[in-house]
Amino acid sequence: MAQSISDINEKIKNLTAKVLTVSELKQLVQAVGVKKATAQVDVITTGTFEPMESSGAMINLGQTDPPIKIRNCWLDGVSVYGGLGAVDLYLGASQEPEGETAMNRGGGHVIADLIAGKSINLKMIGKPNDCYPRPSFDTIITKDSINQFYLFNPRNLHQNFIVGVNSSDQTLYTYLGELKPCLGNAVYANPGAIAPLWNDPDLRLIGIGTKIFMGGGIGYVAWEGTQHFPLQKRLPNRTPVAPAATLALIGDAKQMQPQWVKGCYFRNYGASLMIGVGIPLPVIDEEVVAKASVSDAEIMTSVFDFAIARRVKPSFGAVSYAELKSGMIKIDGVKVRTAPISSIYRSLQVAETLKSWILAGEFTLTEPVAFLASDRSFVSQD
Amino acid sequence: MKQRVNLTFPKHSISNPLAYRLARDFNIAANIIRAQIAPNQEGKMVLELSGDIDQLESAIEWMRSQEIEVSSDKREIIIDENLCVDCGLCTGVCPTTALSLDPISFRLDFRRSLCIVCEQCISVCPVEAISINL
Repeated sequence: MAQSISDINEKIKNLTAKVLTVSELKQLVQAVGVKKATAQVDVITTGTFEPMESSGAMINLGQTDPPIKIRNCWLDGVSVYGGLGAVDLYLGASQEPEGETAMNRGGGHVIADLIAGKSINLKMIGKPNDCYPRPSFDTIITKDSINQFYLFNPRNLHQNFIVGVNSSDQTLYTYLGELKPCLGNAVYANPGAIAPLWNDPDLRLIGIGTKIFMGGGIGYVAWEGTQHFPLQKRLPNRTPVAPAATLALIGDAKQMQPQWVKGCYFRNYGASLMIGVGIPLPVIDEEVVAKASVSDAEIMTSVFDFAIARRVKPSFGAVSYAELKSGMIKIDGVKVRTAPISSIYRSLQVAETLKSWILAGEFTLTEPVAFLASDRSFVSQD
Repeated sequence: MKQRVNLTFPKHSISNPLAYRLARDFNIAANIIRAQIAPNQEGKMVLELSGDIDQLESAIEWMRSQEIEVSSDKREIIIDENLCVDCGLCTGVCPTTALSLDPISFRLDFRRSLCIVCEQCISVCPVEAISINL
């Protein structure tokens, strides 16, 4: 059975589309096989909810009178990039307040506060000139008192990510949280086989322009993400054994909901932003179902020792996501507790919510405008 | 019965073999939950005492007579469900598995009875959902 995306959209509009979350689909395939499962589903919804520090918000303030050309700017004490048009700003999720006042807070928290409808202090310093004479301005903004407010996140979804451990004798504070000494814990970042990019490993369905669930609103795949590395080594099921494809995402933050966008802070490391992202997969043929049926036991990643703070860290070998999600892995014969940094529960909730939107006929699917580069190599600075 | 007590020792009474005296004189099993004791410093210890209810009372009275401060304020770990996102990062640093993820739903499960109030989870939480009541 093969169908087009417009066939599926017709069904969505007629409220006759059969929609399954990716976990339901995996169970169905286990029970009845790929062929029968394909006949029972039109759309598969995937989801993730994880810290994504390579995120940020584009903001246009609207002009003051007399107008200002902003050169330096702070939102709630967090420096905002103003090297754009006069009142265009970019607020990065991992940017932290300057000086001693840092209170486990950063750009991610400011973005989440704006989305939650809170008022934020804005301080700006301009470069007076004949067009824009004003030297400085202080005010308070909310998401309703600014023009554009959209997230443009240069690297969000990772197709896979590493597991961190620490063989040294002191706690390390990392982007995976605290890694306790002497292999005291192991932290993994990816929620496993429910996350979007495992289920379309060669990005046959997901490309530029794909409409997605982003932070509780609607977003789109804008481009390949930074560090996109589709040539990563892959298993026979085409899933990568280490970080591979990534996506850059864009979406209107004014539509987003606080429960799906949370500021977060990793002690002695820094600020970030947790976002819920869900991608629907149109079941255009059996191949879609075969690829999306991949289970946690069939996807792998590697455990790296953060005690060596170098680009290439020593590896303790490969583990499957089924092992990671069991709460315990063995490293050199020693049992080590594992913990995720993404919320697997919320990832499932994202897939459920997207499913409910599609079932209600509120969310239709898109064909990619263009596919992402499949041969991008990965360079380093030496 | 069981009772959890927080003890504060003045510098000069850390040489008192407390667990031994509790066992010998009061027939009390003292399980050391946490202890921070060093020469010439004020010591702190959290004990779970189990024994006869009258013996427990006499034991606490005896400890106070030894200038050991005994309090049973229940210091507890509090998880704010409105802030928690169920990421489970805290479960990896919890030494007693009081914090764990439900294997089916992957929601955070906190079994208070296993918690030794080591507080390691507080600073690990990326959304400041974990605190201690004082």
